[in-house]
Amino acid sequence: MNRFAKGLLRSGILLAVIVLQRAACASVDDAQSFALQAAEPYVKQGFQVREDYWGGDLASGEKKAVRQQLFKGNEYWFWLGTEVDRAKVSVHIYDSDGKLAEEPDSWEKGHFAAAHVVPKTTGSYFIIVSVEESPEERTHWALVYGFR
Amino acid sequence: MIPFTKHLKFIVAVVCGLSLCAHGAQAPQHININQLSTTVEDVVVPLPNEIFGALNKLGAVNWKEHVRSDKGPNFTERPRIALLLGAVIADGFIAVQAEDAPTVKEIGQRVMALAKGIGVGNSITPHAKAIIEAADKRNWENVRQELDRTQNSVQQAMNEVHDEKLSQLVSLGGWLRGTEVLTSVVKQHFSADGAELLHQPDLLSYFQTRLKAMPEFNLPIIHQIQDALVEVKPLIDVGSSRIPAESVKKVNEITTRLGAGIVTRD
Repeated sequence: MNRFAKGLLRSGILLAVIVLQRAACASVDDAQSFALQAAEPYVKQGFQVREDYWGGDLASGEKKAVRQQLFKGNEYWFWLGTEVDRAKVSVHIYDSDGKLAEEPDSWEKGHFAAAHVVPKTTGSYFIIVSVEESPEERTHWALVYGFR
Repeated sequence: MIPFTKHLKFIVAVVCGLSLCAHGAQAPQHININQLSTTVEDVVVPLPNEIFGALNKLGAVNWKEHVRSDKGPNFTERPRIALLLGAVIADGFIAVQAEDAPTVKEIGQRVMALAKGIGVGNSITPHAKAIIEAADKRNWENVRQELDRTQNSVQQAMNEVHDEKLSQLVSLGGWLRGTEVLTSVVKQHFSADGAELLHQPDLLSYFQTRLKAMPEFNLPIIHQIQDALVEVKPLIDVGSSRIPAESVKKVNEITTRLGAGIVTRD
């Protein structure tokens, strides 16, 4: 094998190791930093983003429901993120009767999604997070929320 | 040459397509809640200022009369310190609402002392310092953020050493103090919307479940809280009915009694 081919092989192995290491080290914390990235523009609009968050991992097509107490009078955004940039995620909010409660400006953009709710009543709401598509077997997700 | 209208149609189609991509597939208008078998167990307990924010929108509140800054005793039992720490952080949010800088600074010091008492002082010191600095500058938004960070760091540090139960007691202490102040405000100027803020039955059930799983914390205050939550449940779990003034008054009496118990030595 000539020197160029050897160099190429070595670089390839190194790259593979880095990619594998990155995948192994990826965590819910990485997903959280993406969720917070989605929240950033809203902080300027006066939303207080909570430090606490929900997270885990899901397979493609899998959903998770989170129950959360919301207060009438406040306005909420829930931001979902994953570090898997080719994944597609979604987040939707339902009231305690199972009725879609989110505002029409809720959005999904690849590995980010956000849902906006202005609660009509004080009580429990269900936030449904989903990994719609992902190249990974399990995809980390994190959900943060803010209110004003 | 392609006519301009064809270009226009193409551009409109692309813009519509991109817009659809950005909004994603339509979510169903209705789901069957009973079929949600994958519910995440842990709830994120609302911060007192989340409730105070909603209260502020109902009318001016004289927050100064709810400020509490007495240092209270030094407990040695960790569950008691955890409950008190949650209550003191909630007091911090009340002092922020009242824009009372000296009290916020005292609370910053108190939080640091309590966190040390529970063995998580190191993770709190930078936040407590930031609270004091922000209070000096009367930067209330930063104080609020640092109080949230403080509670989060305390709880994370506790979870790391598998003290999740103490972490839950911090949340409970904060929730009780927040509820005490909420009911005190609504009691003074009753409104149906104000009373509705008490409609938190699932959160109450969450605390009840957590307390049941703490038999090792065999302390009078824990038993008092357990009994009190049983009393509070029917007063706030009213479905779509309104919470009457009498119930608000009753919840206030109960939470005031518990609040006194949390800050007083047995």
